[in-house]
Parts: sequence; structure tokens; C-alpha cells
Amino acid sequence: MRPWDNLTLMQFAWAFLAIIGFSLRSNLKGFRVLLTGLGGGLCWASYLIVLFYTKSMLLSVFLAIILVCIYSEVVARRVATPVSVFVICVIIPLVPGRSLYYAMRAYISGESGLASRHIFDTLMIAGTIAMAIAIVASATSLLLKLKHRF
Amino acid sequence: MQKIKVQECSKLALETGRIMLQSGSSTNRVEAMMHTVCRSFGYPDSDSFVTPTGIFLSISDGDQQIATQIKRVDQRRIDLGKITQVSQVVNCLQSESCGKLRHGEGRSRDFLMELQRIDAERNYPMWVTNLCGGATSGFFCLLFGGSWMEFAVAFLIGLLVSASLKYISRLPVNNFLLNALASALIVLLAKTIDTWVPHIRLDTIISGGIMILVPGLALTNAIRDTMSGDLVSGTARGVEALMITSGIVAGSGAMLKIWALWGY
Repeated sequence: MRPWDNLTLMQFAWAFLAIIGFSLRSNLKGFRVLLTGLGGGLCWASYLIVLFYTKSMLLSVFLAIILVCIYSEVVARRVATPVSVFVICVIIPLVPGRSLYYAMRAYISGESGLASRHIFDTLMIAGTIAMAIAIVASATSLLLKLKHRF
Repeated sequence: MQKIKVQECSKLALETGRIMLQSGSSTNRVEAMMHTVCRSFGYPDSDSFVTPTGIFLSISDGDQQIATQIKRVDQRRIDLGKITQVSQVVNCLQSESCGKLRHGEGRSRDFLMELQRIDAERNYPMWVTNLCGGATSGFFCLLFGGSWMEFAVAFLIGLLVSASLKYISRLPVNNFLLNALASALIVLLAKTIDTWVPHIRLDTIISGGIMILVPGLALTNAIRDTMSGDLVSGTARGVEALMITSGIVAGSGAMLKIWALWGY
């Protein structure tokens, strides 16, 4: 799949709508719903684009999460919302629900090799997401402290 | 600045903390909010220790007296709207030019009224949240490469599962069992619909449905708490995320196996 074509746009739109559904379901109100949806779409689209150019899943997850975490740090402060509200919504498309299901299905049908590979994928993706969120959160608090100091 | 009694101040701060913690805020944010409330009602010297299931707050008034209270917090659920609103009201306390709260005498009463209003505020009606659950599940199914027919099936499953989650959560079940039951229900519905509707792949449908349940909030809060130095609550949230995940896996796996044994 080539990036920047119709298909990427449609994937962006689906992630957008899915995250709007998610944030309405967790009772977020007002125009913030649109902003979190935009972040979710950005997350998935940037994942696809980086995946196309680098062919490395973990690197694309890492870069996409870094991008949307910066997005939420910037936008959430503008609209007077806690940053974690935004982060919770926008990382949802990359949370490894799919490989979890595949791991479980392979385990049920007795293919242990496939199952352990999917479990490994799940753990690696979750760890990468954790690392990316941690990096952006610490960098932001460092920047804010420096800004107060000078 | 209005100075109020220690007990009143402690009550206000605990109420703020309770609402935020019950809606799923990260603990360092709760601590910062409670400290802000105490400071703006005249007690700059306050200490708090917040875990995901309880709040410890101690306010000291010079050398004269120290008030310490513990609040146990149950019934946690995700409510990002309440987190946002409470943060806005607390930010309002800090700024002078905010119109929501009166200055001088009535300020603490206004703040309490505002908190009670937020706490009692109605959520979206049930059909909206159910439709949103359906939309989440359906669009994730499309995102994972499903066709429009699979989208329709996943939408239906998401709708039914979010509707039944309301009833399951009224039963006295813990978080693990809740997620296990919900994911078992997803697999059961998908398999049942599969026997009637031809040419659909179950993989995309079920993984779209599971995306409703994944512990995004617990994961995010675990990392943000650990990074801000709250090791206790960070670990607790991490274990919560792990329990939810294993609940999802156990439920859907058990249902897949039962269906396979049934002979379809």
C-alpha cells in the first residue's frame, strides 16, 4: 500500500471515526471529541506511512506514538484539558488488541510457535508504546522546568 | 483569599480527589489538584499520598493543629469529561479573573456547589454510548482490513456488547470477570452470526470487538504515574492493565474452545 493515496486517507478517516466513538463512550464532551479523533487518525496514518518507508513495525509504532504524544501535549494545553485525557484516547489505535487475539487463537489451535511469536509482538508493542509515552512525558516536564527557571 | 476551617478545606480537597480518582485520573494529577485546593483556601502546608484505591490527606495549620483524613475510593470507571471539568474548576480557583466562583466569603460554597454539580451531571443517554461502542468496534474492524459486510457485523456486536456491559457491571463481579464475560460474549456473538451470514472473516470482527475492551487508560496511567515517581500507583495500574488483558484472553479463548468442542 502506497502512502498518501486514497487508501491511506480512508484509513485515516476510519481511525478518526473509531476514536470519536471511543471518546464519546468515555463521556468526553464538546469539541475536544473532534480533537482526540484527529489525534487518533494522525496516529494510525503516521504509523502506516512510517511502516511503508522503513518496513519496521516497532520503529513505526515508536515514531507514531511520539508524534501523537507531542500533539496531545501541545493541543491539550491550548484547550485547557489534562494531557492524559488526550493521550488515553489517541494511543488506542496502536494498542495491540489484534495480535493479542491472534496469539490466543494460535494457542487454542495448538500452534505454540505462532502463539509465542504473537505474544512476543504484543509485549514488544506494549513496551514500545510505554517507552514513547514515558519519553515525551519526561521531556515535556524537563522543558517546562527549564522554562520556569529562565 | 478566603481562609476557611481546616475540616472544611480537607472536605473540599478530598471531594475533588474522589471525583477525579473515580473518573480515572492519574494520581500525580490528583495530588497536584488537592494541593492547589488547599493552597487557595489558605493552607499552603499540605501533604497527600494517593493510590488508585484511596486518598491520604494531611493539612497542617501553622503549629496549632493537623487534620488528617483517609478516603477509600471504590467504583472506578472511565469518565474523561469529569476529569476535564474538575481540572477547569480547580484552575478557576487559581486565577483571579474567573467568573464561575465568587470572591470572598462565598467562594468555598461556590466551589463545593460546582463539584456537586459535576458529580451529579448526567452522562450521555444510553443509546448514544451504545451506538458509539458499535462505531468503535465497526471502524476498528474496517481499520484491520474488513469489508463493509464485516463492518456491519462488527457494528452490531459492538452495540450489543456495550449494551450488555451496562447490565454485567451491575452484578457484583470484579474487573477480571467483567472483561472475561464481555470478550466471551463478543466471540459467542461473532460465531453465532457466522453460522447465518456467509463470506465473513471472523478475525477482523473479533479483533475489532476486542478493541472496545483494551486497557488503554490503565496502560497510559501506569506509565505516567511511574514516570512522575509514584511507584506504588504505577505498579498498581500496571497490574490492573495485566489483569484486564488476561481477562480478555481468558474469556475469548474459553469461548473459542467451547465453540470448537461443540462441533461447528
